[in-house]
Amino acid sequence: MTARKSGSRLESEIERCRSEGQWDKIPELVRQLSAKLISNDDLGELLLGECKLQTYLKENPIKQGASPKGPNPKLVEIRKHLTAALDRGNLKADYLQEARLLMAKLCYVEGEYRDALDHYSKVNLDDMQLVGSPVYRLSIIAEAYATIGLCLEKVPVASPSLSNTESPLSIRSMTEREQKIITCYEKSGDIALLYLQEAEKALSSGIQNRSPKPGPTGQDQELGYFLETGLQRAHVIHFKNGNLTQGVGRFREILRAVETRTTQNLRMTIARQLAEILLRGMCEQSYWSPMEDPPTVSPLDDPTRQGHTHSKNYSLSRRPRVYSGENLFCPQENTEEALLLLLISESMANRDAVLSRIPEHNNDRIISLQSASVVYDLLTIALGRRGQYEMLSECLERAMKFAFEEFHLWYQLALSLMAAGKSARAVKVLKECIRLKPNDPTIPLLAVKLCIGPLHWLDEGECFGKMVIDMGEKAAEFRAKGYLAIGLVYSLKATDASLRSTQEDYQRKALGAFQRAQSLSPTDHLAAFYLALQLAVSRQIPEALGYVRQALQLQGDDVHSLHLLALLLSAQKHYHDALNIIEMALSEYPENFNLLYSKVKLEAICRGPEEALLTCKHMLQIWKSFYNLTNPSDSGRGSSLLDRAIADRRQLNAMTLPDFSDPETGSVHATSIAASRVEQALSEVASSLQSSAPKHGPLHPWMTLAQIWLHAAEVYIGMSKPAEAAACTQEAANLFPTSHNVLYMKGQIAELRGNIDEAKRWYEEALSINPTHVKTMQRLGLILHQLQRYSLSEKVLRDAVQVNSTAHDVWNSLGEVLQAQGNAAAATECFLTALELEASSPILPFTIIPRAL
Amino acid sequence: MLAMDQGVVEEWLSEYKTLPDSAVSTYASSLKDKGTLVPALYKVIRENYSDLLEPVCHQLFDFYRSGEPQLQRFTLQFLPELLWSLLSASAARDPHTSGCIEALLLGIYNLEIVDKDGQSKVLTFTVPSLSKPSVYHEPSAIGSIALTEGALANHGLSRVVYSGPHLQRENFTAQNRVCICGYPRQHMRRYKGINTRLTVTSEFLVQLITGIHYALCNGEVELGSKALDDVLYRAQLELFPEALLVGNAIKSSLRGAALKSNNKEGARSIQVEITPTSSRISRNAVTSLSIRGHRWKRHESQEVSVENDAALGGVAIPEISVTGVSGERLPNGDSLRPRSDGRAQPDGDTLGGASEVSLDPRSHDSGIRGQEVRRQKSVRRMVENEDAVDLGSPDELMDISEVDEGVWPGGMGPDITPPTITISNSVTTLNLGAKAMKKCRLVGRTSKDKEAGPLTTGRAASENTELSLKRLTLTSSQSVPKAGALTSLTRTASAVFSRSFEQVASGNVPSSSNHATAETARYSCSLQEEGVGYLSPAPNHTQRSPSISVHLGTDL
Repeated sequence: MTARKSGSRLESEIERCRSEGQWDKIPELVRQLSAKLISNDDLGELLLGECKLQTYLKENPIKQGASPKGPNPKLVEIRKHLTAALDRGNLKADYLQEARLLMAKLCYVEGEYRDALDHYSKVNLDDMQLVGSPVYRLSIIAEAYATIGLCLEKVPVASPSLSNTESPLSIRSMTEREQKIITCYEKSGDIALLYLQEAEKALSSGIQNRSPKPGPTGQDQELGYFLETGLQRAHVIHFKNGNLTQGVGRFREILRAVETRTTQNLRMTIARQLAEILLRGMCEQSYWSPMEDPPTVSPLDDPTRQGHTHSKNYSLSRRPRVYSGENLFCPQENTEEALLLLLISESMANRDAVLSRIPEHNNDRIISLQSASVVYDLLTIALGRRGQYEMLSECLERAMKFAFEEFHLWYQLALSLMAAGKSARAVKVLKECIRLKPNDPTIPLLAVKLCIGPLHWLDEGECFGKMVIDMGEKAAEFRAKGYLAIGLVYSLKATDASLRSTQEDYQRKALGAFQRAQSLSPTDHLAAFYLALQLAVSRQIPEALGYVRQALQLQGDDVHSLHLLALLLSAQKHYHDALNIIEMALSEYPENFNLLYSKVKLEAICRGPEEALLTCKHMLQIWKSFYNLTNPSDSGRGSSLLDRAIADRRQLNAMTLPDFSDPETGSVHATSIAASRVEQALSEVASSLQSSAPKHGPLHPWMTLAQIWLHAAEVYIGMSKPAEAAACTQEAANLFPTSHNVLYMKGQIAELRGNIDEAKRWYEEALSINPTHVKTMQRLGLILHQLQRYSLSEKVLRDAVQVNSTAHDVWNSLGEVLQAQGNAAAATECFLTALELEASSPILPFTIIPRAL
Repeated sequence: MLAMDQGVVEEWLSEYKTLPDSAVSTYASSLKDKGTLVPALYKVIRENYSDLLEPVCHQLFDFYRSGEPQLQRFTLQFLPELLWSLLSASAARDPHTSGCIEALLLGIYNLEIVDKDGQSKVLTFTVPSLSKPSVYHEPSAIGSIALTEGALANHGLSRVVYSGPHLQRENFTAQNRVCICGYPRQHMRRYKGINTRLTVTSEFLVQLITGIHYALCNGEVELGSKALDDVLYRAQLELFPEALLVGNAIKSSLRGAALKSNNKEGARSIQVEITPTSSRISRNAVTSLSIRGHRWKRHESQEVSVENDAALGGVAIPEISVTGVSGERLPNGDSLRPRSDGRAQPDGDTLGGASEVSLDPRSHDSGIRGQEVRRQKSVRRMVENEDAVDLGSPDELMDISEVDEGVWPGGMGPDITPPTITISNSVTTLNLGAKAMKKCRLVGRTSKDKEAGPLTTGRAASENTELSLKRLTLTSSQSVPKAGALTSLTRTASAVFSRSFEQVASGNVPSSSNHATAETARYSCSLQEEGVGYLSPAPNHTQRSPSISVHLGTDL
């Protein structure tokens, strides 16, 4: 440093320090400079004045909205330097302009706005070169424009027409003046952005050249009051005046400029604010894309001021660099733009996450948390509107670094996981939410909902349900829901249980819970409905009918209640009434496949198989129209039905699978879940081998389709038409070659054709996939009986009874086997049981009705 | 109903009917001047048994069908009242009175779901992705894009998603076509109920909340928040996660919103203040950004010990690829170290979790590291200026690494050197995909023996296997340009990995089948710090086969 520098080297060093804001080095450089040539004295004064002014502003920053501080010895000294530089007139033109601008700035700092404007009038700012000028000069020009704007805002209009405020002329001059102010700020902002870009470029290239010397990179360059004002004041005025269109336009201009380190925070804020406006104040119709011209008349703008707005009417010789290139993504819709902005904002907010937990950083932590939560909330609004819960859950997952002990973030993550179908994770996160807010009954209820539904985690579900119940009075109206939830858990456990005593125990518990729920919330149809369903499952048909009627009085068009009513009527062998109910329900829910399955069964009995086949055909048509709408091949991540189903598949969502795959066990049953999963996995493997298989879509619709074919096959079997039945089964087999239902149906067809051995083989295959498929067990038992392998047959049938003790035909077959073995007493028992059960047996198992919260 | 009101309505009915087509638009704009008309129409709608109801509904539908925006809006203003009327009638199980209202609503719905050509409207929406350049950003500048499963699955392309605010209704379209009366049934299902408890779906509530949000922010603060609370309560009762999610977000975001509603005037106004541009977070607080810088420093000061650390850590740090001659050991990947010493960031093992593996080139550090970053950045700029680089594809990725670390320092002995491939792609092991990881671990395990030391193991292995030994060095150079591209790269990383292997394998061992090669081949993956890898496309002198090798030395 002490080494004497050659002239040009010294000058470039000065230029660099000015550009990088290293004001502390200037005095030393000035000393070296004046040692070389006397004529440099004026420049020296200018530099000293500048560096002292900048240092003063750094130490005494101007606050937004604060009044000037008045005279100050330091400012007097600065004025001396600048006056000296200006007075002698020896300065080169460029430097002279700089000195004038600095003097004007000084005047502003001292509160002498008119003087400042006077000085500015002596420099033609618009003529100052932006191309090829040193970086620091860009900053001076940008500050000058901002300062003019500030002065104009402070100085009252000094026009002679001031007295006559009514005159249209003065109004026009007012708006002209306002326009002038805005233009100043916009110019200032543009040049400031250019300056920051150039400064950063110079800095990085400088660093590369002067290799080992550490530059001032550690510290961020600070903008200072004037540049900050220049960058932001224009849009602030636009919004204050209700000029949404122009405000949005200005926001976009700033955001389109290539970012620099210094503008990062500004960009983060502006991006968020623009996203807010897009989401809250704009609709699809009033949107215009960032690359389009704004509409001349927009409903967004304050109508009282319309016509007073001016379009942008200035040009600069050089503008800040904007993001460019081919294939730039440009949003075409307000939610798209909002999302893009929020993602950008999020990535920055995320980077600023304060991780340390020491008390000194409490404030920082709160700031970083707040700025991030605002962004995440807006992201939730935008993505929720578009049904993008999958993406949302990923975003919120990133928010977790802020989330320590923050209930809102945890809860939102849990909900988004739930909405995205990521049930298992959702339950884990909900547990944390419960820890943070133990008194909110909704949270454990949400967890039970998942445990009962997609997860089938009954033990966990029981725990969550008990939490709600244990809240007692605090849970208020949610207490009844708690009992309902725990009743459902017991009810499902009863279905799963293999020991009769356990089954009955759970059934009793479930009934108790449902009764409690009903007494707590007598207007909730769900309580009455599940009470009815539980009674139906334990074959208390008349009692069940009573409650289902109650449920229907509360909610006359509840599909499940209507379905249950129909099944109960079918259990009482009132098939025609049941069919009437089903048809009535179908008029409200024409595309409900569960109802249609029951309809097929009932029609086959009441009206003959032809009618049932027509219904099957109708189902196929519904299926086609229902799922053709959203083309299965483009499986975007939208919120369409198919996307839902994709999410289901990803989760191996057990809820939908048993519903559709297993008409016998109906809704959830532990082993059938396992079987369905195997079925699914095997089918996927199988179909991947033959690429022509017609399925790339989600599983659920295809399962429905297979189900329809199987129902049709069953009707054909009832008609003793093996060829047609085989054709239908083949359709199902094309979709799910290894489904136990398909194999079972193939066994039945073989039986129909008299191929006992083949049938046995099919049944055995079906059982190897789902060892607890009662219908298969029953058929296999019968065949073994025919083959006179009595003890094996008895074993199979006893196993079947274990799985489902209400299957009357199994009891009947068991009786026959026992009879054949000569065990008349036991056989009688079985026959009696079968008879009793048959009297209360519905057309399809009651458990076909889904049990869910 | 007063006779005067009736007169107004009747006049309105007859006036429009006699209107010539040319006069429609002037008529439309004159409608708002008829001050008594709107209240009179409300009265007609409220009184279910009014004789005027049917012609009024008919004319409102004609208005809507006319396509004249002002006439359409005139009809739309009655929509809430019409819906209410329909719902209360159906709740009272009195559907006959609302027949014409139902027909009007259905008509509007059916017009609304198709476009001008009668095709059913499908609203599309592009999910923006930070990995694709946009008018507002450049992927490389976004320091850290979390490498979530979804981000990887979507890499690069913003997929067009079929969606829309009226999706539920779009689904009815098919219903409408297949059976003409599909919609009213759906309609009933959605709204009909008893004791004013109507069956609702979660999607419907989300749409409702969206509407309330707009009202809330545009002058109806009090009514809006009341409605929002009601809907949230309902969502709570129904345990609807979607509605709860969006509703909670709106509630929480209304605090401190930039867009404030001016209640007194009922008009919307936006308040935006000048905000300080400097970070409000104090410099010495540990942030996710600064914590990364922290690691860097440590690395520089104790490069050698760091190596040992990592090697002894017994983590998934693979043995180090050694350039035969010098026997130099590579510094291990910084990115892996945290896993070994337990300072792991949350990004560790959870693929689905928030992981940030890439390093933001704009971190706060100064000194050599700062330079390094800047050097990389300028390289990047250089590359960008060439403009060829999209970084979506592995090939381009290779280009970059060549530019970045393209100097071959020489001093490479021609005698040893198993062929080595480097994929210098600034990808950390976490993202290499299961395939690569497995291999890394494999080698890591063999080198677990602390005493034997990585070098010996590596050497011995290389000597043993001689020609058949293949070595893949994955240079994980954290600060390699285009940090943003990392996301998009990771997915292809394993593909590149295996592809390049195949090339070498088939070239090298022509006699054996690919399969056999795969079995004999052994990999060692090394993750090394940025700047120390040199990629050389130079052919190996003694080797019969061409190979790309990577050799690592310390950057001066």
